[in-house]
Amino acid sequence: MSKTILTVDDSASIRQMVGFTLKQSGFTVVEAEDGAKGLVAAQKQPVDLVITDLNMPNMNGLELISKLRELPAFKFTPILMLTTESDDSKKMAGKEAGATGWIVKPFNPEQLLKVISRVLPS
Amino acid sequence: MMTESYHKAKSRYFDPYLKRWTVKLLPGEYYVCRDEEVVATTLGSCISACIWDVKTGIGGMNHFMLAQSELGHWGEQTASTRFGNFAMEYLINELLKQGASRNNLRSKIFGGASMNTGGEKIGGANINFAISYLQTEKIPLLASDTGSDYARKIYFDPNTGEVKVKSIMDLPNDTIAQREKKYARDLEKENNKEEDVVLF
Repeated sequence: MSKTILTVDDSASIRQMVGFTLKQSGFTVVEAEDGAKGLVAAQKQPVDLVITDLNMPNMNGLELISKLRELPAFKFTPILMLTTESDDSKKMAGKEAGATGWIVKPFNPEQLLKVISRVLPS
Repeated sequence: MMTESYHKAKSRYFDPYLKRWTVKLLPGEYYVCRDEEVVATTLGSCISACIWDVKTGIGGMNHFMLAQSELGHWGEQTASTRFGNFAMEYLINELLKQGASRNNLRSKIFGGASMNTGGEKIGGANINFAISYLQTEKIPLLASDTGSDYARKIYFDPNTGEVKVKSIMDLPNDTIAQREKKYARDLEKENNKEEDVVLF
């Protein structure tokens, strides 16, 4: 059975690009356009990995990660930040919120898949 | 720093004709403001998106082109457009951070000429990318002046969305072509660089 990845980004172009890359590699993709919708989507089916943007309306990526980590199902789920932000202070805030990794855009689709393979339990 | 080939504009001067402070964008730069500034740039095959919030008067402009593969051919769609996506997303994120609302954003695009600089197809690809990106993001495109084979100098008023375009039929020198070539080389280097990835 294919693994399910939740992608959360307010940019439709990024959702499209990430979704295309993941589907090509055999993943099932669930999309949400902000943190609040991502939190709802995360609880509708089992999710194996989350990829989220940082700056989003309604609920940003850090808040989303903190709220997901409070849910028993997401205690150990890998969560990757995929963002234009590269400041070390922001990366530290991501780590404290419970992110598994931080990828700075513009990302290379192959590299994204490599990072996923490193954090996703087989 | 986000990437070496994309950063905030650094050059600002007082334009005696416009009687306004004017920020000059070079290839790979962006600028967002809510003050009484004008943002100006000169485009060959590169493209600039002017995006502003019609209610708050916060606006900004970028100046970019898509990356080509090492061999000068267009790579896979995702690979060639990733810097374009980045240039657009970065501009939109900065607008939102300064208080713009996504629903109030409007856009205009300029440039994408087929300049005789060895990369005639770049201009058209840049135009197609920008139009498609704005459609996907549902940001209305109110006006554009793109294509053909001449350079353009544009002045964007972020408060009103007004853009003045000066067509440059006879270039006095090859400064624009050289700048764009250097930028294309920088993008190529960036394309081959290791990703900025941290695993905690």
